[in-house]
Amino acid sequence: MTSYGMVFDVKRCIGCNACTVACKQENSLPDGVFFTRTLSAESGSYPNVSRTYLPTICNHCEDAPCEKVCPSGATYTRDDGIVMVDAKKCIGCGSCAVACPYDMRTQIEETQVKGGLFGDGQLTPFEEQGYSRFECGTFTKCDFCSERVDAGKQPACVATCPTDARIFGDLDDPDSKVSRLIRDRMGRQPLPEKNTRPKVFYIE
Amino acid sequence: MFDVSLKNVLRLGYAGRTFKSGYRFQNYWDTPMATAFFCGETGAGLFILSMLLNFMPGIILGLLITGVGKTFFHLTHMGVPSKSWRAILRPDRSWISRGLWGIIFFVGFGSLHVLDQIFGVVPDQLAKPVYLLAIAGAMMVVVYQGFAMSHSTAISFWNTGLMPVSSMLYGFLAGSSLVMALNALGFDVADAGQFAMVITGQKILMVAVLMTVLSLLHNAKHGAKGAHQSYLLLTKDFLSKPFLIGVMGIGIIIPLAILLFAPVNFITTMTVTGTMLVGFYLYRILVFKAGVLDPILSPADIFKR
Repeated sequence: MTSYGMVFDVKRCIGCNACTVACKQENSLPDGVFFTRTLSAESGSYPNVSRTYLPTICNHCEDAPCEKVCPSGATYTRDDGIVMVDAKKCIGCGSCAVACPYDMRTQIEETQVKGGLFGDGQLTPFEEQGYSRFECGTFTKCDFCSERVDAGKQPACVATCPTDARIFGDLDDPDSKVSRLIRDRMGRQPLPEKNTRPKVFYIE
Repeated sequence: MFDVSLKNVLRLGYAGRTFKSGYRFQNYWDTPMATAFFCGETGAGLFILSMLLNFMPGIILGLLITGVGKTFFHLTHMGVPSKSWRAILRPDRSWISRGLWGIIFFVGFGSLHVLDQIFGVVPDQLAKPVYLLAIAGAMMVVVYQGFAMSHSTAISFWNTGLMPVSSMLYGFLAGSSLVMALNALGFDVADAGQFAMVITGQKILMVAVLMTVLSLLHNAKHGAKGAHQSYLLLTKDFLSKPFLIGVMGIGIIIPLAILLFAPVNFITTMTVTGTMLVGFYLYRILVFKAGVLDPILSPADIFKR
């Protein structure tokens, strides 16, 4: 059985946020909505200061808390492990957002969709074709670019990353690149103490 | 008063919705949801107590507070109010769904009970089941919100069994305070024995609420990192004034002192009810405002060589 997951090579990430832009473009995300972010964190004190970049994305948890708390059945997991949201069923209660330890849920607000990227109420052709997929008031999140994955392609953020810091593949296949990286370089999951069994791993 | 402004966020090192790693505030459940929770617990607490006392003004007011107030504020919170009915679909896994079933049972059978008391519309053999189902629904409403919060492992401050306990105790305290207020306004509770029982119960509940809130703070102080941040926000930082003065002082200490040391009359009863409800409402808002998510990864901890 396929179980898609992602590995972030923190050593390779240069914090360019090309993934963030590619994601926004692929999913026609309105202003202020992000499915992936590359966070920066400074540690140490002058003169010994270092900065680390941490790409973040929906972890498509095996034991997804967002799915468990969803009262309308809008959140569900596909057979290949991708956690999806059916916007037609979402009631916008926010249960998933307060249940997600990774803060990866976003509400699509009417002002974001109707206001347009330039804030003048005029939608560009790009926005017009893209915003039709959103339903105002519902909560949304990354779906590993499921349409691209179904077509045999990589998610947009992975395809765009100039340093190969994002690796996507089948976690159930022991010979896949993601499985080997996790095994060889001791992949760590974010907030393992939350018992959500994320399918996103960080390696250094 | 509740300044979660960018200035405060930056001062405290919170990431907010920026590209910085750090603590994040939950801002998905805010004032409308807090008000809905407040109405749910207050209305259900008043209803259950009034049912036990057979106090019809309290039963009707409890139904109105929950049926109208809670429903209204939930709908204002919902992103897609027209699809809210879908929340009944997953009682097997979601506390929100279970709570909605509780509301349906509470308001449905509670209203039927009121109609039966006034017009005698329910056959005798069904009157008792209707009464019990209404109370069961109200019991669900008074606790489910606490369970919905305590189920969130994301927000460590909420992730404790004390949440449903505080919901239930605050609900019954608000209910007993409103029974006393209605009595003071001329809607007489049946007899002196019941009246004395409500006063004693109110004092016990007030002490229990105080102990529960202090336990919540203690739990947060010594709990996970996110919970500790919530503790600091409520006791030392920009939420400390409304919490310590509003929730603890006005909401618990002042009414408790009045209950213990002042004679029961119209002014003291209304003061206790008013201050208690103000404190409870602030508590509901501040528990949401103080909800903090742990940093997704702390490079200082995880990637330290």
